[in-house]
Parts: sequence; C-alpha cells; structure tokens
Amino acid sequence: MRSRRDVLRSAVLGGGASVVAATAMGSLGPEAAFAATAPAPAQKVEPGAPDPDFAEGRIRSIKENTLLVLGSNLVFHTIRVVDGTSLWKLGPVAFDQAKPGDGLYARGVRMPDGMLAAESVWLNIVNIKGHIKNITGQTLHLDHNGHEVLCHVVAGKSVAIHSESPPTEDLSMLKVSQHVQILGAWRPDTNEVDIATVFSPH
Amino acid sequence: MARSTAPDPPADLLGPVQGEVSWFCCGTAWGPCSSTGKGACGTCNSGNLQHAWPNTSDACWAITRPDSCGVGLSRRTCGFRHRITALCSGSSVVTAIADCGPQTDLFCGERSCCGATCASNRLIDLTPAAYSQIASLSSGLRPAEISTA
Repeated sequence: MRSRRDVLRSAVLGGGASVVAATAMGSLGPEAAFAATAPAPAQKVEPGAPDPDFAEGRIRSIKENTLLVLGSNLVFHTIRVVDGTSLWKLGPVAFDQAKPGDGLYARGVRMPDGMLAAESVWLNIVNIKGHIKNITGQTLHLDHNGHEVLCHVVAGKSVAIHSESPPTEDLSMLKVSQHVQILGAWRPDTNEVDIATVFSPH
Repeated sequence: MARSTAPDPPADLLGPVQGEVSWFCCGTAWGPCSSTGKGACGTCNSGNLQHAWPNTSDACWAITRPDSCGVGLSRRTCGFRHRITALCSGSSVVTAIADCGPQTDLFCGERSCCGATCASNRLIDLTPAAYSQIASLSSGLRPAEISTA
C-alpha cells in the first residue's frame, strides 16, 4: 500500500497544481490525515536535530498553491499545498483561508529542490499553558509566562475537555486562578487567541 | 501544599512509563511563542526533534514536581534521548532533552484517552516538529508511552 507521503511526493513530482493522485485520497482534516498515515519508516533525523520535513514561520505571500514562508530563524520555506493537504485554522479549512501574515507549522515531504510538499499545515495554531486571571463575557484572560493573552470563546468552535471527559461546549466550569492549556488560533499581530480547546485537569 | 512521596525507584527505571504528551514552542517563534527562549539547555527550537523532561536538575524538579502526582522519574540531562510512542496511533519518535517541563503538578491526575486507551499525568512535552511526527498538532494532548532510546 502506498503511504500518504508517497502519494504527496509523487503528486508534486508529477505536476504541480493539478494533483490527481492526492485528490484521490481526498482533502482530510488533520486528525483524519494522521489516522490515515501508514507506519513511518525508521527515523532518519538525528534526535535533537532540525527535521527537514517540518517548517515553521509566517506567510509572506501566496501564489497559486504555493506558500512563501519566512521562518522565525529567517530561513525561507516554499510550501506546496495540494488537494490532499490537510489545513487547520481553528478547525479544518480550505486553502483560501490561508492569508499573508498567518503563522504556521507544516509537515510534509522535502523535495529535491527544497520545496516542502505539505501533508498538514496548521495556521496560527498555538498551544499555551497558564493561569486564568479573569473571565469576562466570552473571554478568558490567561497569564502565560507573565504575559496576558486574551482567549476568545468562539460559538460552535470552542470546547473544554475536563480530564478524560468528552469535549463540551459548556465552558462554565472553568474558574479564575485555575491552570489550563489552551489550544487555539492566534489572531496575527495581537495578544489574542480564538479558542479551539481548553484542557482542564479537573 | 502537601507533597506525596515519589515511588522508589523511579518508574522509568523499571521500563517504559505511560503518561500524557503535549507540545510546546521554543526558540525563535511567532505569536505568543515569540517570548519563549531556547529552553533550559539553551538549544531548544520548535523545528528540532526535542522534548522537555521534568527532572533535568534539582531546580527543574522543584518546579515540575511529578512526585506530587505520585510519579517518580529519573534525573536525565540535556541531550538524553527518549522514544515517545503515541498510544492512539502507535507512531513513535526519538527526541533529545532540550528543556525542563512540563509542570506536571499543575495537571495532577489529569487523564487523556483515545477510545479505551488512556494515560494519566503530564510527563513529557514535545516540540511541534516532534509531536507532529506522532499526532496532529490540533490534537493538543495525547496518551503516550515513554522509554529510553
């Protein structure tokens, strides 16, 4: 069986934007994409070293199906999005939701020319821990390493997970001063985040 | 706050341990991560295959206190390698210690599951590059097995 990574590689080598092979697998959400991944081969990257099949940074420009990304370490990445690429921005989204200025993490297959054929792209995703300083309306004020982050509840999107309980859209159990982890989407160039999931130990 | 006594010897000396795994950013970064540094080892980068471990030093242990959750973990220092296997997918990655964390005591008793497979207490944090090898970043938290590599 060909792995999803094999399909991505052949799709990109086979012809850029009109990617028939990847389309056959469908465009998947990130969770489904990982569930569909075949067992990975032996690890090729030395532990502790940079992973060449991973990229992070902010989108400088978008041309057709290609993202030009400036890494935080000032290294440029060219990231190709194909029909089989899963994109996340507070949830699974289509490619047109990617905007210049968005931060991202991407995983895929690094091609011989240096381009990254993307398997998954997570736009503006953050995963931060902190104490809830205050709760006002639909906003949690989070103290994250001494910096306040305003975390907004988004109707229909935000859920809380209290330990092993199933996700709930009822966030009323969250209390001031408790410690939480917030997975969400950063609003670029602000200290604000839209909440996808609040992980609470209780 | 009363602290419970850690098991003796540490659980991870006897074999693999199971616990929760999450991800964190470090090094140069965008957004709320931009204020994060290079970690306790001075080498941490989001794009590297690295992890944070709760017992890298006395000072680290004093912050993370997994013993308050009844978990004993061995002292392991910068560069030490662990294999982390996601219990949901069976995928694994080998990473090197680059930071102190997670703050296990603040999430004491927390339990995450995929189906009937569960694990309790936060024992390790991976960089985004490492976590995304075994699970989607959007999952945020997963049960995992941790062993020496």
